[in-house]
Amino acid sequence: MSFSIRRLYRGDTSWDFLGVSKRVLTGSIVAVLICVAALFVQGLNLGIEFEGGGVWEAPASEGITTDDIRESAARIGMSDARVQKITGGDDIFRVRGELPSGETAESIGAELAAAAQVDSEAVSARTVSPSFGDEVAGKARRALVVFFILIALYLTLRFEWKMALGALVAVAHDIALTVGIYALFQFEISPATVVAFLTIMGYSLYDTIVVFDRVKDNERSLSLKTRMTYSDLANVSLNQVIMRSVNTTITSVLPVLSLLVVGSLIMGATTLQEFAIALLIGLLVGSYSSVFVAMPLVSALKRREPHWAEQDRSAELLSESNSIENAATALAADRYDRSSPPRPRKKGRKR
Amino acid sequence: MVLLVAGASLASVLSAGWSPVLGVQLQGGVEVVLRPAGEVSDEQFERAIEIIRNRVDAIGVAEPDITRQGDQVIIQLPGVKDKQRAVDLIGQTAELTFRPVVSIFDTNDPNQLAAVKQLVQGDAQVGASAEPDETAETNESESLPTLSEVLTPPDQDVASEQVVLLGAEGQTGFVLAPAALTGEVIEEAAATFQGQWIVNVSFNDEGAALFDQMAVANYQRQVAIVLDGVVESAPTINAMEFGGQAVISGSFDEEEAKNLALVLRFGALPVEFERDDVRTVSATLGEGTLRAGVIAGLVGLALVGLYMLLYYRLLGLVAVCSLAVSGATLWSIIAWLGESQGLALTLAGATGIIVSIGVQVDSNIVYYERIKEEVRRGRAVKSAADGSFRAAFSTIIWADLASLIGAGVLYQLTTGTVRGFALYLGITTLIDLVVSFFFMRPLVVLVARRLVNEKPKRLGLTVTPGETSI
Repeated sequence: MSFSIRRLYRGDTSWDFLGVSKRVLTGSIVAVLICVAALFVQGLNLGIEFEGGGVWEAPASEGITTDDIRESAARIGMSDARVQKITGGDDIFRVRGELPSGETAESIGAELAAAAQVDSEAVSARTVSPSFGDEVAGKARRALVVFFILIALYLTLRFEWKMALGALVAVAHDIALTVGIYALFQFEISPATVVAFLTIMGYSLYDTIVVFDRVKDNERSLSLKTRMTYSDLANVSLNQVIMRSVNTTITSVLPVLSLLVVGSLIMGATTLQEFAIALLIGLLVGSYSSVFVAMPLVSALKRREPHWAEQDRSAELLSESNSIENAATALAADRYDRSSPPRPRKKGRKR
Repeated sequence: MVLLVAGASLASVLSAGWSPVLGVQLQGGVEVVLRPAGEVSDEQFERAIEIIRNRVDAIGVAEPDITRQGDQVIIQLPGVKDKQRAVDLIGQTAELTFRPVVSIFDTNDPNQLAAVKQLVQGDAQVGASAEPDETAETNESESLPTLSEVLTPPDQDVASEQVVLLGAEGQTGFVLAPAALTGEVIEEAAATFQGQWIVNVSFNDEGAALFDQMAVANYQRQVAIVLDGVVESAPTINAMEFGGQAVISGSFDEEEAKNLALVLRFGALPVEFERDDVRTVSATLGEGTLRAGVIAGLVGLALVGLYMLLYYRLLGLVAVCSLAVSGATLWSIIAWLGESQGLALTLAGATGIIVSIGVQVDSNIVYYERIKEEVRRGRAVKSAADGSFRAAFSTIIWADLASLIGAGVLYQLTTGTVRGFALYLGITTLIDLVVSFFFMRPLVVLVARRLVNEKPKRLGLTVTPGETSI
């Protein structure tokens, strides 16, 4: 397999994606297993929206330490409270804990404002009843199930059920990995994160659809005229869309990265961080899974169909080398042999 | 064409002085999610929301957003000044009171306002209740008081004090004596039709005694039914002994009678609410988040633009223009939604938009990669630009359709943050489709025809193998 940026740029690649997919898939399965294990061992770090309680945020002024804040929190019965100083941009103190009985969000806000030596108007507060999180999670779960069913239907109608299955497995893979990474690193899960997960599904599907669309296109124009196997067809299609995948991933990751680095790390807007981490992971994993999870799975399913099985056998007999390149040439020739003469090939450049 | 529409809508939005309404997390304010404590009927729920809306209007929030989503009420008060009071006011079940009417005045008549002012102040000084004196027109040289000077502010509306309040329509003002009884003593109230719409009210034992007491003291005078500082009705007492049963008659239509019955039955809020989620965001924190979001968005946009320019050259420029057109359209839509629907741009929505930059650019990439591929196969740039669009746009449509399904499902089945995100995801996807078809394609074709001709390098395309162009 040759590697050349220049050829990638020209869209003139002929990589054997499916050939390496077995090894890559094994890696994926191991990663998913690790993530699932992390999920069961460590569990998720659920945000206030899911667990209930209160969060207060006060601007940090000079000379006040986290310990000062912790002390005054303990004085009002919040000795279990988690106190953090969040730096980047304007520093703030963040206090999270259960609301002690007899206190209100406001009274605690006032207390913390006094401890942080700021005006009580400058304190942001949030209290959530424990039942709320169940509801948010319940709704998200229901939305997820409906979404899966609708997408499966849509893909079955648009393409075929095998592709729908491949796409959904890829999405499930993405979600498992992302959730697993959240469990592994104990990032906090909030409704914002749930939103990000849902977006990831959208991205991953979008990506997968672009690949499938091309495969279908090629299947129509090629399969009857050439001796291609389904793997070759898939490989050719993947090579055709790979540059688009790379570029789209780059242009999607750039804004998210900017959200994470500029917005949240430099300027300290932690609320932005919740989205950005999940999106970043999901974007990368999503474009990877379209190529290395969805397509190989579909290919494996398709090869059992009589027509494709036949093609596989005849390919074996001929034991053609470089069947992908031949297929790519066939594809190019198939469409434009009348409008332009086939380009002469320079020997030795392709390997 | 799209350029014209986008430009025109942006211009009209700007000239109308509309700008996006910012959500609580972006400008500070209060957000409360309420849920009924028990089972409630739809009628009660709607009534409760209406009352909450009235209360919020009374505080004077610029862009309140109160919506029912499933069995929750989501109240967003961006930019509200007195957060503490707003939170208190929203969920509490305030008292319903019966107050004897001292006098009635026309809120549009300055002379009557002056009289009321004097009456109330005189009362405060002397500490005795006086008969209404509507002819008092002394001190005309003094500047006439405005309505707001005369009215009792909500925080001084105490049951045991004399107050000045407005009727439901706001045209009529009432000077009211201290409350004779509260809504707690009412056992049942129902609207019935007996030749005309009337409201039957029954009291418990304590209430029956208090009501009779009030009836004796105010026989042939009006008694106001006051809810949340508004006089809902002011029937005249026509008997001295009611025995725990009263009938309120008047020129009600069916709806008025039923509303009055509801008010009497449930007091202020017909529903007891639990506060699921209360969030107060200080103005500084909100502004910080907004600033960070805007800067991060701009940096991201700049990076994407730069990458596209480097990679696709002239076509990259088209992509940047497409983004600008989409952005202008989106801005107009957000501003319009804020102005006409009171829909605020939330943090989740804003993030969704920043994220959608990638999706928008992708449509360009899908198309350009197709063109490159065709050119690589030896097709002329001009015909490749024309011919590739069909295939590329079909891909874009199918992929966007999946996004729309996702957005639709999320919007229908979720609440709050997730819902806001879904809305903007859906909007940006639609804009993407329109801009791709009506703007990106014609411009690419134009560029391919006029500027590039047979110099595909300008498009970031290379034809001859071996030529370097990065």
